[in-house]
Amino acid sequence: MPRLLNRVYNPTQRQSLAISASASMVAILLLTLMSIIGFILIRGSAYFWPLDIYTLTYANSQTGVTAQAFAQIRDESMRAPLIMQSGEQGAIKQRTEEQNWWLSYVVEGRVTLSRELLDPANVLSVSKNPNVAEITLTNGETVLANPLFKTPTQTQRQALSNLQEARVNVDYLQQQIESVRRAHLSPIHEELAEFDRLGVANDAPARVRLTQQFYEHQQTIQQYQQQLAQYTLEVVDAQGNVSVLMLSELEHIDFSNQLNTLGKVWVSVSRIWAFLSDEPKQANTAGGVFPALFGTILMVLLMTLIVTPFGVLAAIYLSEYAPNNLMTAALRIGVSNMAGVPSIVYGVFGLGFFIYAIGGSIDSLFYADKLPSPTFGAPGLFWASLTMALLTLPVVVVATEEGLQRVPSGIRASSYALGATKIETIWYTVLPIASPGIMTGVILAIARAAGEVAPLMLVGAVKFAPTLPVDGEFPFLHLERQFMHLGVFIYDGAFHSQTDSQGSSMMFAACLLLLLCVFGLNLIAINLRARLRKRYTQGA
Amino acid sequence: MLNLFEREKLELETLSQEQTAINVEHLDLWFGNKQVLDDVSMRIPKHQITAFIGQSGCGKSTLISSFNRMNDLIDGCRYRGSIEIDGRDINHPRENVARLRANVGMVFQRPNPFPMSIYDNVCYGLKLQGMNLRRALDDAVEQALRDAALWDEVKDRLFESANILSGGQQQRLVFARALALQPEILLLDEPTSALDPLTTLYIEELMINLKKRCTVVIVTHNMQQAARVSDYTAFINQGRLIEYADSDSLFTMPRKKQTEDYITGRYG
Repeated sequence: MPRLLNRVYNPTQRQSLAISASASMVAILLLTLMSIIGFILIRGSAYFWPLDIYTLTYANSQTGVTAQAFAQIRDESMRAPLIMQSGEQGAIKQRTEEQNWWLSYVVEGRVTLSRELLDPANVLSVSKNPNVAEITLTNGETVLANPLFKTPTQTQRQALSNLQEARVNVDYLQQQIESVRRAHLSPIHEELAEFDRLGVANDAPARVRLTQQFYEHQQTIQQYQQQLAQYTLEVVDAQGNVSVLMLSELEHIDFSNQLNTLGKVWVSVSRIWAFLSDEPKQANTAGGVFPALFGTILMVLLMTLIVTPFGVLAAIYLSEYAPNNLMTAALRIGVSNMAGVPSIVYGVFGLGFFIYAIGGSIDSLFYADKLPSPTFGAPGLFWASLTMALLTLPVVVVATEEGLQRVPSGIRASSYALGATKIETIWYTVLPIASPGIMTGVILAIARAAGEVAPLMLVGAVKFAPTLPVDGEFPFLHLERQFMHLGVFIYDGAFHSQTDSQGSSMMFAACLLLLLCVFGLNLIAINLRARLRKRYTQGA
Repeated sequence: MLNLFEREKLELETLSQEQTAINVEHLDLWFGNKQVLDDVSMRIPKHQITAFIGQSGCGKSTLISSFNRMNDLIDGCRYRGSIEIDGRDINHPRENVARLRANVGMVFQRPNPFPMSIYDNVCYGLKLQGMNLRRALDDAVEQALRDAALWDEVKDRLFESANILSGGQQQRLVFARALALQPEILLLDEPTSALDPLTTLYIEELMINLKKRCTVVIVTHNMQQAARVSDYTAFINQGRLIEYADSDSLFTMPRKKQTEDYITGRYG
């Protein structure tokens, strides 16, 4: 082959051929990288963009009855702008393909949103009404409707400007209910459970008194709830059917059609904030991802805390103390090969060894009173971090060893010559100089651990965790709890996406967040490394 | 008649215990199977400058390194024979090597300051000795930097990185670092071979001043330097001590043919 090239091209041409061949590969690489990031960025951020709401007149394909509904084109957000406004009165030109419409109408007194595939032939007219709003409920649902407001004291309908005032009252009532629950009901619950355990008779005076109190508090709550029920929001669908929503179940109202671009950006920002800070709702297809984000970062931080000392100490032994023999060489090869073991194998090992063997023993030794329900003998945050630490250990060991070996021998000799022992030399001079190398290992470990999903599903990450691993209860960090993880969240959401495209667009947003999360963690580590490098630069 | 220009010479063979800084007896040293030092015996006088000359690889650096047991750091190094400092055999297995090295300072060929501030570089050895009082450290740092003729140049930037100093300044910093420990013996392994002539001059002056405080042993390839600064000179060839005498006689009328060939440049 080279000989053929020699005959066809002169040396200069061969040179440029080599350059263009290698450069085109870089171009392809660049293209791939940009399309991945671009795709995730566009699909992920589209999830937050408020969409126009159309008033759609359409013929039902089965019955042929003409109906009206408020509608959005949601899952094809990139194609949505193809519906263009033209003419004077906002007549809207339609596309000719079939489209996924999200239609909102009142069914049995309750406003709902459902997806329908409409043939353009059945779509009779499309227009925009500025009074229609996208209403998000606390359970994560969104509906499209024309809202009218009603307060408890006046039977007349009130303007929407009173909404804020009413919501303050609603919030107050909800707080009252919550505080009664927390301060009175749950202690009583606990005491009753304690009585059950001790076998106190049903007619024991203490028990009767408690039960009495319990009913009193429940009545208070019921009163509050009755007050709460008076705060309602009447909404009207395109056909004029009325539905009543409780104000307490209302999250927020966006009048998308009234928003200009700046307003839409503002709404997007508030939705991004809600996405970052809320809990998932509707079986992980709506709401926010805060527990998953929190779990991911906490797991990675714990993993870093475990793997760094472990890996650095191992590397110090291998590089500074281990005799230079066959055994050490074999150990080095073994450590490097550990990096190539499929991650699911680590997951299985973590489940079998850490959780069942070690966790099981811990339970039988220290938590025997709680058995058979396991404390540490079940998947949890600590075991997940430990498994990930094991998974990333070879990276840290190899990078640290390289860093240690790059420390100039003259520096070590000088330290010894000043009366330092070996351990002092390592601690005061070798490790600081090697610290950028150690940080490189930690960066690689973080990048690997933050993106790993498969082993986590075996050792502690779950689809939905009722509590965060950190809370105000002693010991504050609950290492035995299961946690949510962005990667697992996306994996789980990807299964929904075949039936539910709203879920899938949320998955893109979660993907974007995971990417940013990995970038962010890496950026911190890289910044730290740059500082260390500047501080401990070697040579003149 | 009293000769004012002739330095008083000590008889090296019959040096008394008080006059001896290092007493080497029948030292053999191997790296693996290669014998590097072969039956070296010598007495190095106190408060004098003794130079080791010889061609590269003759074992002079190995000899100087065995005075503070730096050879221990090299894999496969074995030795036989005794080296006495202050009447103690430093090759004894129970010798405290760290304390020995604090007492026998060493400066290497290439300036190698630690990547920390100038102040921390000078403090390094003192802190290892357990000196933690800030004021004591300040005083010791100033004194050591003055001794190394570096104080005036760095007094305003003590807490900046030592890496910003020039090569000559770095080497003087390394001297200061060693001097801060107040060593009894200072070993210099070609300390000026990487430096310019002016800085070399500085350091030679420094060595002569140091004589009052400690015994200096220097390895050098520069014969003029050996003749200029040293009181005694030892010529080493292929691991053997060929000739050891006061510098004036060794450089003017060497007794051995090998020495004469070497110092006149016909050899090596």
